[in-house]
Amino acid sequence: MEAALDVAERRARALVGRVGHRSLGVVRAAEAAGFARAAGETSPCLVDPDDAGFVVHPMYVVSLLRGVPGAGDEEFRPDGMYRDEVPGTDGLDVALMAGGQDVRWIADVRPGDRIDVRRTLTEVARKGRGAGFLLLTVEKTYGTAERGALVEVTERLIVR
Amino acid sequence: MTDQDASTTAGGRPALPGAEIAPVRAVPDAVRLLRFGAVTRNAHRIHYDAEFARSEGLAGPVVMAQLHGCLLHRAATAFAGGDPRAVRALGWQNRAPARPGDRLTVTGTVRMVDEATGEVTLDLEEALDDGTVCCRGHAVVVLPPPMPSGTGDGAADR
Repeated sequence: MEAALDVAERRARALVGRVGHRSLGVVRAAEAAGFARAAGETSPCLVDPDDAGFVVHPMYVVSLLRGVPGAGDEEFRPDGMYRDEVPGTDGLDVALMAGGQDVRWIADVRPGDRIDVRRTLTEVARKGRGAGFLLLTVEKTYGTAERGALVEVTERLIVR
Repeated sequence: MTDQDASTTAGGRPALPGAEIAPVRAVPDAVRLLRFGAVTRNAHRIHYDAEFARSEGLAGPVVMAQLHGCLLHRAATAFAGGDPRAVRALGWQNRAPARPGDRLTVTGTVRMVDEATGEVTLDLEEALDDGTVCCRGHAVVVLPPPMPSGTGDGAADR
């Protein structure tokens, strides 16, 4: 019987290059401020939407796994992660971890922006000794139809 | 709730490559993780379910990668004088997990200064009190242009 990690690898390799889209909905100043507060920020420019210098926390949209109104029960794995978050792992008993990110800001995300995410799995690598682990690299572009690309992210995901 | 030991901004322009940035500290506790998970809609059980986290080979619940990123971003912002938009790029690798209640300290040094663009590249590291490195990364920030001579409040102008 094929091991779960081998299945994940086979599936992931078949998904390389396939483009997916996800909507994060419209950015609201109050929700961005709530994010900043939850992250521990205290600067009025991040936590007070009424501050004259208020800006959406640059890490806000890139930290969102889903926009409002969240996800339905059927979208979750037993471990609480989303079934489609880590390519190739839906339904498999594998452990998921974040490996790191590279974030490049092209333009500010503003209240009122309707954010769409373009996701592409670009690389699948088997690492480590023995069964080892999978290192998946996903390229994401966050943007709007009107303003184009606003943020680019390279995300690394670990599957064990 | 325990949390940040307010970051102090380095402000101004960097002296030279190799200069240290002001450290930023935070103690993200279980309440912070719950709040952060809620606003980002991150329900991954490794962040709040101790038994599940142990079943995944962890010592217990762990701090979210994005929260580590926020702390690194805060350090870069402070270095740039407090404008979050001054951070143009941020990258990090997760090296070791941090648990709720761990004190995290971000330190960094100036790697490179591009006088033509005003961009400064920082090497960043986030570590526990015992020296364990949780994240290692970098940031690119753009500093505001220096005040014209004679308009600053520095004693040298007087």
